[in-house]
Amino acid sequence: MRTRKIIGMLLVLALWLGLAGWAWLRPETEFSATERRELAKLPELSWETFLDGSFVSKFESYTLDQFPLRNGFRSLKALTQYKLLNQLDNNGIYIVDGSAAALDYPLNEDSVEHALKVFGKINDRYLSGSKVYAAVVPDKGYYLARSENYPVMDYDKLFEMVEQGMPYADYVNLTDLLMTEDYYRTDTHWRQEKLLPVANRICDVMSTAKPEGLTPVKQTQPFYGVYYGQAALPMEADALFTMQGSWLDGCTVTNYENGKTTGIYDWEKLSGEDSYETFLSGSVSLLRIDNPGAETDRELIVFRDSFGSSLVPLLTRGYRTVTVVDIRYLSSAMLDRFIDFHGQDVLFLYSTLVLNSSSQLQ
Amino acid sequence: MLFSGIPFLFYFLPAVVIVYFLTPRKWKNAFLLLASLLFYAWGEPRYVFLMAAAIVLFYIYGIAVEKSEKYKKLWLGAAVATGVVMLAVFKYADFALENWNRLTGMGIPLLRFALPIGISFYTFQCISYVIDVYRGHTAAQKNIISFGTYVALFPQLIAGPIVRYVDVEKELQARKTDPEDISDGVFRFLVGLGKKVLIANAFGQLTETFRASQDLSVLFYWLYAVAFTLHIYFDFSGYSDMAIGLGRIFGFRFPQNFDYPYTSRSITEFWRRWHMTLGGWFRDYVYIPLGGNRVSKGRWVVNILAVWMLTGLWHGASWNFVVWGLLFAALLLLEKWLPLQKLPDIVRRGYVLLTVTISFVIFNADTLAQAGSDIAGMLGFRGVPLVSKEALYCLRSYGVLFIVGIVGATPLVRNTAARLGQRPVSNILRPVIAAALLLVCTAFLVDGSFNPFLYFRF
Repeated sequence: MRTRKIIGMLLVLALWLGLAGWAWLRPETEFSATERRELAKLPELSWETFLDGSFVSKFESYTLDQFPLRNGFRSLKALTQYKLLNQLDNNGIYIVDGSAAALDYPLNEDSVEHALKVFGKINDRYLSGSKVYAAVVPDKGYYLARSENYPVMDYDKLFEMVEQGMPYADYVNLTDLLMTEDYYRTDTHWRQEKLLPVANRICDVMSTAKPEGLTPVKQTQPFYGVYYGQAALPMEADALFTMQGSWLDGCTVTNYENGKTTGIYDWEKLSGEDSYETFLSGSVSLLRIDNPGAETDRELIVFRDSFGSSLVPLLTRGYRTVTVVDIRYLSSAMLDRFIDFHGQDVLFLYSTLVLNSSSQLQ
Repeated sequence: MLFSGIPFLFYFLPAVVIVYFLTPRKWKNAFLLLASLLFYAWGEPRYVFLMAAAIVLFYIYGIAVEKSEKYKKLWLGAAVATGVVMLAVFKYADFALENWNRLTGMGIPLLRFALPIGISFYTFQCISYVIDVYRGHTAAQKNIISFGTYVALFPQLIAGPIVRYVDVEKELQARKTDPEDISDGVFRFLVGLGKKVLIANAFGQLTETFRASQDLSVLFYWLYAVAFTLHIYFDFSGYSDMAIGLGRIFGFRFPQNFDYPYTSRSITEFWRRWHMTLGGWFRDYVYIPLGGNRVSKGRWVVNILAVWMLTGLWHGASWNFVVWGLLFAALLLLEKWLPLQKLPDIVRRGYVLLTVTISFVIFNADTLAQAGSDIAGMLGFRGVPLVSKEALYCLRSYGVLFIVGIVGATPLVRNTAARLGQRPVSNILRPVIAAALLLVCTAFLVDGSFNPFLYFRF
């Protein structure tokens, strides 16, 4: 009995030492595709870095990032948390009916006010003579969390704050046009092929041509969104569709950051780390969409976050040019260096997620 | 370095265990001392010199007390004074200065020393060693390496149990490395790791969620109070289990520190089961020298109040710890006069759980005002609703963990394990449970970022 007890525990010790040996000897991995980030590398050891504590903290990050079977262990943790301990979220990510979302609460009124202040400054400084519109994109939690009693921010208050805080803009309500299924299951964002009702309403309000004649085209590349890595659970990949049609296919996009001009979709990004970046190349501070097939010379400027990337192409039909600005990466104080403001239509299109955490808006 | 961290579990500990067992017997203490200093320096590179100074000083005090008949008391006084001064400077000076400045309106600048990790533990061990030599309970250690190993021994260095020199005196001279001890030690360590990583950390997260919440309710205040009560138990008893398990692996037998305190039927019993080595230390080195209960009633009450105020202060330099200690003093005094044992068991257990839960709300508050506010919230005096959406969410999300925590705080699991231990199936179950704990805890550590340890601050 005693010998068996010792042998059993020796096997556990062997497992332990085996994992330790693997951790010591395995080569470094540079990038985590599931988490979409670079992994920590072995820090440099010197008296200075040891004494000031920087080696210790970096080494701890290194051991976590480079641990053998890291993704497997992350999945084991998620499964234990969800299935065994019956917890409703893991690292703030919850899954309902196969769709993942992040807990984002409570409403940060200071953040919303900061965003409104920035928008107000832009309006005062640049937008005299422009017709201004505003729309708030409800995040997936607006539909998913509410139906399952997860804690949510006070969305109604947020919408009210934006509507009342932008008296210079026509407010477009989008909440009744969407549902959970209109968002990717593994990602934060909404699905472009589901956005025609949203685009139609905004075009209606802006009195411009609706996005007619488009058909959804399924891309063969599976799309694993940002929540796929964060949830660390086995989830089916999403399918990514792009809306295509003759007038949209004729549009070109000029990226002011790298000077390149491409078609309306950035196909190189389709097989990159984040396939959603196919839509307007992802995080780009300033773009111009030219629509040679437009029947008017109207112009539009859109201030937007990443939700705008998939929607803006659908708004371009009635505009000769659409300028797309992301003031998270370009200070609004410098806009007149790049944009000639002369009474264009202007749309502020921001998601609840960004408005509730708006410190990046400049 | 945290026991419940990947650097310790998969880098430091395996290396130390392998080298330790390859080291010749006569060098084992020296190697353990070296490893312990590295362990300490990992988080506190500068304060390792403070600990080294303490080792040298108390080593000298021990020999001086033993050798010098004439100045024995003087050397003892010097040893106690050294310990008290170390604590006063590094732990209590700023608290005293803040209060002095507040009282007098003066602006004496604070020292702002970072608290050396584990100073309260190793200082108490050093003081008790010299007192034991003075009392003739043990001979002074002549080998500074052995004495240094006792003070710095990494398994119990930063969070106890408070090991007295007499407890490990023989093992410091010669100890066996029995495979069964190693097997039991590994199992005990992994059980402690599971308590810390899987249960305590989860309740810790819940208390953080409560503190950040803008959706408070009476229910949420109670969830917080119960969660913290479970958090501190699993955190500290888990760490003690890990320390005791590590001690077994290296051939030491450390004293038990917890004995299911939440099943107590009086506060007196609670303190016989909670942080037993601290309670024992204060009893033997403060309470009894003050006269214990063999003095007039008035003096006895003063003794109790003094010991419990010091117990509170030992936990931290803040008024809420003083109030926390004095609350227990008041309850212990009440229990001497009230016929508590006549009440039904369920009432007595309920009384202990309620008072202990409230005491930990005081314990965990940043200030006395926050403690008052939290207790007012629990009693419904904060103008918050009875329930809130976030509280209900937390209740649903942590429901299973609350059940696990509450059951795990009783001897039910231990008793079941003891019954199973008689059967052959335990030979399979034990390693399976140990391996599962190792893998699941590793998974939580690899993924998680929430891994503080409460008793580091003491």
